[in-house]
Amino acid sequence: MTAGHAATVEYEHVTKAYDAAALRTGAGAVNDLSLAIPAGKICVLVGPSGCGKTTSLKMVNRLIEPTSGRILLDGQDVAGRDQTELRRGIGYVIQQTGLFPHQTIEENVATVPRLLGWSAERQRSRAEELLATVGLDPAKYARRFPAQLSGGERQRVGVARALAADPPVMLMDEPFGAVDPIVRERLQNEFLRLQETLAKTILFVTHDIDEAIKIGDLVAVMQAGGIVAQFAPPAEILAHPASAFVARFVGTDRGLKRLSLFRVSSLDLQPATLAFLGEDAADVRRRAAADPLASALLVDAERRPIGWLVAAEMPRSGPIGPQHAASLSPLLDRRTTLKDAMSMLLGSDVQAGIVVDRHDAVRGLVTVGQISDWVRRSGDAVPAGDRVDAGGDEAATA
Amino acid sequence: MNGKPFLDLGWIGDHLGLIWERFTQHLELTVVPVAVGFVVSLAIAIAILHRPRAYAVVIAVAGILYTIPSLAAFLLVSRFTGLSLLTAVIPLTTYTLLILVRGIVAGFRTVPEDVLEAATGMGYTARQRLLRVELPLAVPLIFTAIRLATVTTIGLATVAAILGDTYGGFGQFLTEGLQTFFPTKIYLGAGLSVAFAMTADLILVRVERRATPWARARAGAR
Repeated sequence: MTAGHAATVEYEHVTKAYDAAALRTGAGAVNDLSLAIPAGKICVLVGPSGCGKTTSLKMVNRLIEPTSGRILLDGQDVAGRDQTELRRGIGYVIQQTGLFPHQTIEENVATVPRLLGWSAERQRSRAEELLATVGLDPAKYARRFPAQLSGGERQRVGVARALAADPPVMLMDEPFGAVDPIVRERLQNEFLRLQETLAKTILFVTHDIDEAIKIGDLVAVMQAGGIVAQFAPPAEILAHPASAFVARFVGTDRGLKRLSLFRVSSLDLQPATLAFLGEDAADVRRRAAADPLASALLVDAERRPIGWLVAAEMPRSGPIGPQHAASLSPLLDRRTTLKDAMSMLLGSDVQAGIVVDRHDAVRGLVTVGQISDWVRRSGDAVPAGDRVDAGGDEAATA
Repeated sequence: MNGKPFLDLGWIGDHLGLIWERFTQHLELTVVPVAVGFVVSLAIAIAILHRPRAYAVVIAVAGILYTIPSLAAFLLVSRFTGLSLLTAVIPLTTYTLLILVRGIVAGFRTVPEDVLEAATGMGYTARQRLLRVELPLAVPLIFTAIRLATVTTIGLATVAAILGDTYGGFGQFLTEGLQTFFPTKIYLGAGLSVAFAMTADLILVRVERRATPWARARAGAR
C-alpha cells in the first residue's frame, strides 16, 4: 500500500468547559489547548483519566464541539465543514472497536467506502487489500462476523476499517487498551511498521506512558483540567521532564525507558577477539589473554559464534574445538533495543552481547558498561531515523 | 353429551371448505392488527427512544389499554364501526402496542454504545445510523416482541366471533359449539387456534434466524 496524503492538525487555544453535572460523569474538560502536529507524525495524548485527552481527540471529528478556540486540518477550521463529510475523511478507531456485529468483516471494513458510494467491486477489493495489510487473510476472515474473531483480530479489523478511505488523519482512542499485554505489544509493533509506509497523521490517546513513549513521534503529557504539561518527542520528555508532574508520571525508571528508544546501532561496537575452529590453542590463548574480557569467541569459518573460550581454561596446545567452549552470551543484532540488550546481558555469565549480522556472522560486542556509559553521555540524544518498532520483537523471536 | 362423539370426524370431513374459510378469517384478524400495530409501535418507539418521560407515559397508556377486557372493547368500538372488520382490528391492534413498543425500545437499547459512537464517528447521518445500524441490531428483540404479539393476537381474535359469520375466524366454531352443544366445533375451534399460534410462532422463529445470521455467530462457530 502506498502512502496517501497526510494532513497537519493544529489546536489553537481550544477550551472545552463542562458544567458541574457533566464533570461528575467523568467528562474531561480542556483548557486552552494549543498543539501543532506535523503531517505524517504520530502524536500521543497521554495522561491520567479525566485529563481531557479523549475530549481533545473527539473535538477533531466534532463528536464534541469546543467551547472556544479552533482546530485546523491542513489549515482549514473543522467547525466550518459539514460534520458527516468531515468524519468520513478522518479514520476513527476506539478501544471497544465499535465493529458492527451484524455485518461481516468485509462489510465492516468497507463502511466508509460504502457511505462514500464506491462501487461494490471497489469496496470488496479495498476491504481485501486492507485485511491483508493488517495481517488477516481475506479468504479466511472476509465472511466472518466480529463475534467470531479474537480481541486482537477485532482490533486489526478496527484499524483496517479506519484506513478504508485512505484518510489523511487518524484518531485512535486507546485502540490497544482492551487486549492482553502480549497481543498489545504485537499490535503496537505491527501498527508502527504499517505507519512507516502509510505515514498518516495520527492522534493517539492512551493512559499508558510506556505505550506513549513507544508509539509517539511527539507526546503531549496532559494533566487534570485539560492542561498540557509537556509536548515534546519521547526522548526529550524522558531526559528532561518539564515539571514534577511529568517526572512523576513518566516514572522513576525513565532512564530504563529511554533505553527502549534506542538500538544497538547507536553504539560503537567493541571488537571481539575471534578464534576459528581448528586453530592452534597456544595462539588462541595468547590472544585471549590480551583481550579485556580475558576470553576469545570461537567461531566457524563463516564467523558464526559457537562459544566463549576463557584463556585460563584452554588447553596448552592442539586444535581448538567446540568441546573447549563455554556457552554463548546473548546474541543481539543492530535493531535490538538497548533496553532488551541490557536485560539480556544482566542475566548472562559473560556480560558482553554478541552482535551478529543477518547471516549470524559476528560484527562485534556490546557490554553493560558501554550501555550505562552511553546513558550518561547521551542526555540529549534523539533516536533519529531509527525509531523503535518491531525490531526488538524480531530479534527476540528470530 | 347425548351420545354425540368427542370429535365427529365425518362432520369435519364435510366442512373442510368452511374450516379453510375460518382460517383465512383468523389469519386476517391476526396479520392486520400485528402489522398495523408494528408500524405504529415502530414510529412511537423511535419517537420516544431518547425521551424517558414520554416513554413512561406511552407505556402507561398502552398498559391501561391492555387491561380493557376484549369483549368490552369490541362492544365499545362496535358502537362507532358497526359489525365491520374494523371493530375487531382496532382493539386487537391496541393490545399489541404494549408488547411491541416495549420490545422495540428494548431492542434499540441493546445496541452497544461503542457501536453507536463508531457509526457516528465514521460519518453516518442520524437516519443512516438508525436504519442501517440500530434497526438491524434491534431485530432479535423486535422479533421476540412480534412473536409474543402474534400469539397473543391469535388467542384474543377468537373473541371476534361476536362479529358473526363474515369475520369470526376459529372463534366462530367455539361460539357455535357452545350455543348448540356440539363438542366437535368447540374442540376444533380451540385446537385449530392453538395449532395456528404454534405454527405462526415457528415460522417467525425461522424468519428471524434467516434475518440475523450474525446473532448466532460465536467464536467457536467457524
